[in-house]
Amino acid sequence: MPSRRYMHPKFAVVGHPNKGKSSIVSTLAFDDAVQISDTPGSTTKKQSFPLTVDGKILYELFDTPGFQRARRVLAWLEKHDVPADKKHEVVQAFINEHKEDERFQDEIELLEPIMAGAGIIYVVDGSKPYGEEYEAEMEILRWTGQPSMALINLIGDTNYVEEWKRALGHYFKMVRVFNPMEADFIQHLNLLESMAQLNEEWIVPVKASIILFKQYHEQMFEQSASSITQLVHHSLSHIEQLSLTHEDATAEEREEIQEKYQMQLRTYELESQKKIEKIWNHDHLQKVQESLLFEGMDLFSKESASIFGLTRKELLITGATGGAVTGAGIDLLFGGSTLLLGSAIGALVGGSGVFFGFNELSDIKVLGQNLGKKYLEIGPMKNLNFPYILLNRALYHASEVASRSHALRSVAKFEMGKSFTERWMDESTRKSLEKFHSKFRSGDEVKEEERKEYESLILTALKNIID
Amino acid sequence: MNLKTYINLYELVKTHKGTREENRALGLEYEKIKNEPVKQLEVWTKKHTPTLGKPLLSDTFSTYLYGMTLTLVIIAFFLGFFSGVGLLSYSGHEPVNVIYYMAMVVLLPLATMTLTLFSMFRANASQSLLVHISPAFWMEKMLRFLPQKAQSSLQELKINPLLSNWLIIKRSQLLALMFSLGLLVALLGMVITKDIAFAWSTTLQVSPNEFHSLLHTLAFAWRDIFPWAVPSVELIEQSQYFRLGEKLDTQMIQNASKLGEWWKFLAFATLFYAILLRFGMWILSMFGFKKALKRSLLSLEGASILLREMNEPIITTSATVEKKNVVPQGSHTMQEVEDLDGSYDRTLGWAMSSDELRVLNDSMQVITPMAFDVGGANSLDEDSEIISKCQGEVLFYVKSWEPPTMDFIDFLEDLTRVADKVILAPVGTVEDAYLPKIKELEMWGRKLQQISSDKVWLKRSSVKTLSRESLNAES
Repeated sequence: MPSRRYMHPKFAVVGHPNKGKSSIVSTLAFDDAVQISDTPGSTTKKQSFPLTVDGKILYELFDTPGFQRARRVLAWLEKHDVPADKKHEVVQAFINEHKEDERFQDEIELLEPIMAGAGIIYVVDGSKPYGEEYEAEMEILRWTGQPSMALINLIGDTNYVEEWKRALGHYFKMVRVFNPMEADFIQHLNLLESMAQLNEEWIVPVKASIILFKQYHEQMFEQSASSITQLVHHSLSHIEQLSLTHEDATAEEREEIQEKYQMQLRTYELESQKKIEKIWNHDHLQKVQESLLFEGMDLFSKESASIFGLTRKELLITGATGGAVTGAGIDLLFGGSTLLLGSAIGALVGGSGVFFGFNELSDIKVLGQNLGKKYLEIGPMKNLNFPYILLNRALYHASEVASRSHALRSVAKFEMGKSFTERWMDESTRKSLEKFHSKFRSGDEVKEEERKEYESLILTALKNIID
Repeated sequence: MNLKTYINLYELVKTHKGTREENRALGLEYEKIKNEPVKQLEVWTKKHTPTLGKPLLSDTFSTYLYGMTLTLVIIAFFLGFFSGVGLLSYSGHEPVNVIYYMAMVVLLPLATMTLTLFSMFRANASQSLLVHISPAFWMEKMLRFLPQKAQSSLQELKINPLLSNWLIIKRSQLLALMFSLGLLVALLGMVITKDIAFAWSTTLQVSPNEFHSLLHTLAFAWRDIFPWAVPSVELIEQSQYFRLGEKLDTQMIQNASKLGEWWKFLAFATLFYAILLRFGMWILSMFGFKKALKRSLLSLEGASILLREMNEPIITTSATVEKKNVVPQGSHTMQEVEDLDGSYDRTLGWAMSSDELRVLNDSMQVITPMAFDVGGANSLDEDSEIISKCQGEVLFYVKSWEPPTMDFIDFLEDLTRVADKVILAPVGTVEDAYLPKIKELEMWGRKLQQISSDKVWLKRSSVKTLSRESLNAES
């Protein structure tokens, strides 16, 4: 007897139109590219979302169009009086016979992967009441004979879950509640575990997929930490040069180099943000807005310093630790009180908080006779507060991106207070970070192991924030 | 692995990183060296170097470095040679004071080698004074003598400070070695071609015995194997001289033939301190350079990402083909009604029970002779029969939250064939007091625009109207 060819597990996400099928697929596939629309009938073709490892598919998800003419399909099936073991053949016959029939394109698109062996994930909206019109759909799915489970998606605020559970229990042996907008990584994995239970043969490959997902998730964290490390290192060690036209630098030239220097640091930040959005498969967010967060809040603004910077006390301790109090002293312009730090941005702008000025980021020096030319040089970053502002912004951005559901299509909102820093930075972390910041500023070679050590600090911080 | 690999990788990670898939494929191809990142980077660099434009920056740099080193090596050799000749010049009036020469071949090498050891420990720092005082450091300044094109491309090359420091340390040792060889050649040359009377002289109160003891210590490395290369106390006594009186001691003149014996000690001192130890330092600097090269390769910008791409499996979850959903757009202008009439010829409820329909009619204060529940659990035949019973104006309730399926559209199209006017009234849930949400109404509106029928009207009730109707219903 010939051995059966291995087939990876497949799951078809099916259901009534507009019940969040695409949202669920988007979340399960970590893909914000899935088109989600509130107009019924916008998904007309099935779409495959395979989980691949080095090109090998471990399992495959299918986003499908919703049922459109379920009663007609069921009527056609019921015309064929066959025993239970032949029912799936009737479904296949329906597909074969109506392949060219435009009226049933949606049903054929959704039934095809099921008839090709996919497990059924039937999605309903648990925030709306149950209706009899769903029964035709569930009956058709029963005819296919494929293992199935129901997923109650809570789209709105009201809750009809119990009502749905009672109804779905008649058709599906497994019913789960899953909110793709709010599900965290653990819930995601739990759902995968449930999906594996549909078929005994799928348990091993899906469990392997779960392990890989964990690895994938860890990779995302590590890559984010690496990207943030690179951002801080680049920003702190950056040196900008400008050739002088005359013997002495003019005020305009000094202003120009300062502007160029700041612009370069902004570019580093933006690039890092884009990289992190890409790592977490949120690169489509950029279509919604140029920069995911911090719109209107410049890296060198008072608001940034107030929200993301160190407090006066912390800064002075940091200065002492780094042995650079003198250098930092001239950089700091204390203004106002710190009473409004926990408030919203608008209030912070008004209150100004503790603002450490950016007029003196680094010395501007007229240098050298390099090949007979004089030039202006600014950098590396001297301001002690800057790395913390940069780091806080980067960590906040990364944590927002990492915990954002791929099903969300709304514009990300900026809401945070000073307490954010407390979530990840204590005295000892700050001390450890400062050691590296001094190293980054020095321009000395940063050893691989040192870079990894800093990355590990960032990784821990990021995980602490997200957990 | 050499400097060329480093520069090629430096250039490649800036211009051609390879795709994630290519890098992973290479990682899998060389899975045996998975735990040897330097080798992996070498393999990757070798594979991608052909993509770099010619001439390679590494070639330009190596040629420049080779040329500069060769020039300086020759200069150092001749400098050593002429220094030796100068130190050993014998006019015949005064013997050659071996202390000058010893200072050059023992003291100076020991001092500079100590500094070198310090600079090796401090090689990490980008601004190392010890490195900067090295003559090799000033090789960079010779850059200005290169053609403009080479200058600009080399100036863009920012070598890791650790590596450039080691490069300087290594080159310095080579130059010092050549300088010492020059000294040795000068010594041997002078000894062969001239009759030199060596002597020693110092202002310090050093007795011949003490001086012998010092020389005996300095000769620790060869005194047992070549005892004749260590000056005896007798020779030391005979070759001590004082300049006072500007005359050579008669004893010295009588033992003139013996004074030349010093050359053996001087040659061995040169060989050991200036050449062998320096050679050792050069070897050490080569090891240090290799180590620095490895570390620099790993800390090169982009190298860690490259290694990650080679070693980590590519896990993808996204769709292989990005699909653009098309939202169907209707061209028909939607007809709307604000308020419901008091009576209709028929009322229908899509996927609603007859009880629900009755409650709805009641709450909307609508009177009708016949009300039917359609869709839902009905069969298609049952629906057809109901359609056949419809006529005149029909009020058709639908669940506002349920999107209209084609099943519903089919029914509606059939209905419009028999009815004169169909008022479609989306109603919300009981919890919402039957009020549809604006978003839901818009969804129904968009769908109905696709039906080109003048008989269909949408009840787009304002919230106010619906609230009134709901209030009435409650009362």
